[in-house]
Amino acid sequence: MVDQNIILIGYAVPLLFGLALMTRLGESFSPTLTSRSPLYAFPRRRHMLGLNIVAFVGFVVSVHTLWISNKISEGGNVCSSATVFSCDDVLGNAQYNVDPIFGISWGLIGMFAFAAVLFITNAVGKEPDAIWAEPYLKYGTFMTGAGLLVIALLVSYEVRMGKICQFCTMAHIANVVCLFGFWKAGKMHENGSWKDEDEDSEAPRNTKSKGRKS
Amino acid sequence: MKKDTEADVRTDTAIRVAAIFFVAIIFLAFTTDPIKTGTKEGDRAPALTGMAYNGSGWTSFDMDDYLTPNWTAGDPTGQWLLVEFMDTDCGFCLRDASKVGQNSNYFMKLGGDWQGPVVNFVASATELNIQGHDSSRAEIQAFRDKSGEETCGGNSCANRDGNAHNFVYVDDLDADNMDAWKVPGTPAYFLIQPDGIVAWASAENQNEEVADAIIRLTLEA
Repeated sequence: MVDQNIILIGYAVPLLFGLALMTRLGESFSPTLTSRSPLYAFPRRRHMLGLNIVAFVGFVVSVHTLWISNKISEGGNVCSSATVFSCDDVLGNAQYNVDPIFGISWGLIGMFAFAAVLFITNAVGKEPDAIWAEPYLKYGTFMTGAGLLVIALLVSYEVRMGKICQFCTMAHIANVVCLFGFWKAGKMHENGSWKDEDEDSEAPRNTKSKGRKS
Repeated sequence: MKKDTEADVRTDTAIRVAAIFFVAIIFLAFTTDPIKTGTKEGDRAPALTGMAYNGSGWTSFDMDDYLTPNWTAGDPTGQWLLVEFMDTDCGFCLRDASKVGQNSNYFMKLGGDWQGPVVNFVASATELNIQGHDSSRAEIQAFRDKSGEETCGGNSCANRDGNAHNFVYVDDLDADNMDAWKVPGTPAYFLIQPDGIVAWASAENQNEEVADAIIRLTLEA
């Protein structure tokens, strides 16, 4: 069995990288990324790449939590521990590991939520100047904002159990980072930096795609 | 001529995300075989925890400590578990007390010549929200030990039918366990396999006695 901490690091590294791309730190990755695609010279392209990475990490972590839930239901131990960090105790608790209304596993709900976020980030990332791009980013903000309420509920469960599920926490962090990403994309729209333009030139770049907002 | 190509991007993205989603579902389907948690036969029994009285004092109880997760059918060394949900003021529970005591001694191999696997008994004592049902830890102790000054169902607990019991009584006065197990009334019995799967539930087998179910299921497993 692979050490759970190593798996957690495997999720944390791309998540932090994605977050870095959404901040000023992203500029330091610009030369490397630009060698792969010139478009990554522009902040909004790096921003959307970072948002895509974080959304994908959130999706994969959700799959992992559902996998752990299923394994525990089979009678296995995946990440049980006597310490406060024991995802087996959280994900294996039949009272709390499903939503209180429909009885759907939180892992599956996470998969749907992050798949929706991934759709938004991917679509907007490909066509950032489309008419629907800005409203889609707003939907993303609302979705991940609503996710905070779910996170609050799940954290309250953890407090009640006196246990913390590390993988669930990673998914929660991914949701918060996505919320930050959508919020920042909205701000970029507001302050006029949502464009592919060289800093020292007014000439727009990437005129390849059609059907864009004029 | 202008073309609305925006839809293409979204359709393409939707197909790609859907593909990733289904790959994940296929991965889960091939690598896991989830068992529903519940109290119907074939379900994985929910957790049963709390403070339990064993005749000498109250200690922490966790049903998992009684289970053998890697048990396989036919292994006679695995110990089964009979969980009884009861209320010390419930008339039917008082009526069954004698029979439950005899069964527990026999199947826990404390007396008799039971040849099958050990079947541990555990009672989860709750307080039903019914007028006149007013229980306490002292009453649970009195019911189990058949002693003391407490009143069970209007009569002295010391005078209930049968002998003192030799199995643990879990304090479920807040009915947490009863709610988690979705038990509508008492007494309710669940026979749990050594791996934690519900093998038999009294609610689904109204015409079969607990002892008959234990004999039938443990000897054929």
